[in-house]
Amino acid sequence: MRVTQSMLSNNMLRNLSNSYNNMGTYMDQLTTGKKINRPSDDPVIAVKGMDYRSQLKEVEQYQRNTNEVHNWMDNSDDALDQATKALQRLRELAVQASNDTYDTGERHNIMEEVEQLKTHLIDIGNTKVNGKYIFNGTKTDVKPIGDDYPTDTTDVHIEVSNGIKIKVNVNADEVFGAEAFGNVDSFITALESGDQGEIEKSIALLDENINNVLNARADLGARMNRLELIEHRLGSQEISATEMMSNNEDIDYEEVITQLITQESVHRAALSAGSRIIQPTLLDFLR
Amino acid sequence: MSTFHGLEMAKRALFTQQSALYTTGHNISNANTEGYSRQRVNFETLPAYPNGARNRPQIPGQLGQGVQAGSVERIRDSFLDLQYRAENSKSGYWETMSNSLYRMESLLNEPSESGLSNTMDKFWQSLQDLSVNPENTGARSVVVQRGQAVADTFNYLTSNLENMQSDLRKQVDVTIKDANSIIRQIDQINNQIKETEPHGYLANDLYDDRDRLIDELSGIVNIKVHRKESAESSPDNAAGLTQIELVDDSGKSLPNGPVYLVDPTSDTGSTFQQFSLAEADEVNEIKLGNDLVQGLPTGSLKSLIDAHGYDGSDPNAVSYKNVLEDIQTLATEFTTAFNDVQKGGYDLNGVAGTDFFVKDADGNIIVAQEIMDDPALVAASAVANETGNGQNASKLANVFNDKIGGPLGVDASVKSFYEGVIGSLGVAAQEANRMSANTAALKSQVQEQRMSVSSVSLDEKMTNMIKFQHAYNAAARNMTAMDEILDRIINNLGIVGR
Repeated sequence: MRVTQSMLSNNMLRNLSNSYNNMGTYMDQLTTGKKINRPSDDPVIAVKGMDYRSQLKEVEQYQRNTNEVHNWMDNSDDALDQATKALQRLRELAVQASNDTYDTGERHNIMEEVEQLKTHLIDIGNTKVNGKYIFNGTKTDVKPIGDDYPTDTTDVHIEVSNGIKIKVNVNADEVFGAEAFGNVDSFITALESGDQGEIEKSIALLDENINNVLNARADLGARMNRLELIEHRLGSQEISATEMMSNNEDIDYEEVITQLITQESVHRAALSAGSRIIQPTLLDFLR
Repeated sequence: MSTFHGLEMAKRALFTQQSALYTTGHNISNANTEGYSRQRVNFETLPAYPNGARNRPQIPGQLGQGVQAGSVERIRDSFLDLQYRAENSKSGYWETMSNSLYRMESLLNEPSESGLSNTMDKFWQSLQDLSVNPENTGARSVVVQRGQAVADTFNYLTSNLENMQSDLRKQVDVTIKDANSIIRQIDQINNQIKETEPHGYLANDLYDDRDRLIDELSGIVNIKVHRKESAESSPDNAAGLTQIELVDDSGKSLPNGPVYLVDPTSDTGSTFQQFSLAEADEVNEIKLGNDLVQGLPTGSLKSLIDAHGYDGSDPNAVSYKNVLEDIQTLATEFTTAFNDVQKGGYDLNGVAGTDFFVKDADGNIIVAQEIMDDPALVAASAVANETGNGQNASKLANVFNDKIGGPLGVDASVKSFYEGVIGSLGVAAQEANRMSANTAALKSQVQEQRMSVSSVSLDEKMTNMIKFQHAYNAAARNMTAMDEILDRIINNLGIVGR
């Protein structure tokens, strides 16, 4: 085959340009850390990459949602704990007051403490977290205990995983409802009138109150356990989603750097060979 | 045997070697001229003396009469031209397609942290945040702003796809103009050749020009070149006139009979035909002369038309028209589904939701102005007057992954449909890139073979130059010898004893 200078120089240019192209690809991969930069580099990786990104975002968002669930549950639990303490003190006072030896004056003193405890319970019922009343169902903007007692018993749900919603609030009607405060009120009335029989009845009624709060806490505790399980699962999902995404589209640095170095030496060789091929012609040797 | 036979012969040798030296000079001058084929002076020995006539002088043998320059011929293999042009059409098609899809990929910009997919994910996140904190005005404002960002992205993609599509439309125009200009030039060169060849000349440089133009034309449409003799008196090795036929992808005549772009044998008056668009707003109907072209062959023109897309084009092909329609369908289906869910819920005031996304006067998608002004109108609650109810916000978030179906296709959700669009774009662009590289490699291979035959080698030219120069010197020396012989006869003969 006849080979001419222009063929050689054309070939050299084309090969150099290919070489630059390869180096460009490796440089892109190294600077972005990704195997692909456009869908056409590898359509499968691209579409999977979009999917993994969404998945990861979902997991991150659900983790954020569980924080909010924690917020609700921890505060509810805290409030219920305090309510239990207050109710237990009320019961102590009821037992104390039911003692025959107490006279009207002393019972009146007890009554004053009971009234303070009632206000305390009302304050607990009106607990506000992040600007939300947590004991009024979904009517989080309405103060549950004012003139009225909490009536909204709707559940507040938060999505913690794809399609899985968890109830985050406590049924306030049982804990801070009209009946619960009615029991406290009848205790106060009994103290005022000094009716020992009525005071003894109040002990049973307050027990009922305490039981209701304990039941609500038990229910809440069960849900908190479930939340922990979900959080655990989200945590491992996050790791696996990140890992899948990384396996899918991240480069293996060692590999790409090695390829780049190989390409560099090829390029150097091409340049030096090119400079040797292109230079001399017969002209250089004719006198 | 004549007295001056030797002088005459030496003179012709000088002339002939000189013409070869000139041609070598011409070759060297054009070593870097695109499309130039090296030329060669064909040396011919002159008929020997005496010829076999009755009145021939009786001498022992025939004497040679020396050399003459028979013709100046270019060195070119027309079979390689054929191969080159067939590859050039395919290469033109795929290279143009690859460029068109490259721009589309850059626009859609997936996978990335800034494409539509990411914008939708962010909107989804803000809706989830809202479902958790439905009473929070901050969360509501974020939903509205990110909703607007999704709408903006849809509008941006749509308007840019439209712009790029109209750019392609302009490119079709420019390409048609290019093709027409090339066709006219080829026709002109045909005419010049027609005036040169009958005089016995080979119009080498015109042939090169014409071949270069035909090469260019073959990148635009697939063509076949037929050779037509220019005149009876033209030399046998003349290239003649070219008749250029528009042929289909396999190199056969078009279904409705052969169509000629340049036809020197035509008796209809015009020896060439020009391309034009049949309708200003339809790219796929190309006219040649007065007739519609049936089945435009491969080449960059066809590629531009395919990438642009047209009524009746393959609905599964990746063209600007189809992708634009896909994005528009996606936008419509998404906003409709989103609005439906929004209308099924209640806002902070306990009022049923109204359309979240609406269209403005220019047809762009925007978030409804009243919702922009008052984010409390986002219907986050599933029940009226439940401030802390975020059930509907969570439903709004699900719109992205719900199987909407309908125009999006069976079981398709907003996200999966968009992934499908990107996936098929990726596959099409990958194919275009691969085919573009393959056809370019084949083309350059043929080009290399062609250069092997036709391109100028400086070493060779130097060698030739020395060869011709020596021959020239030798002929001059020969002439000196003849001169001395004659000098001997004329001046030194018959002077014995003087």
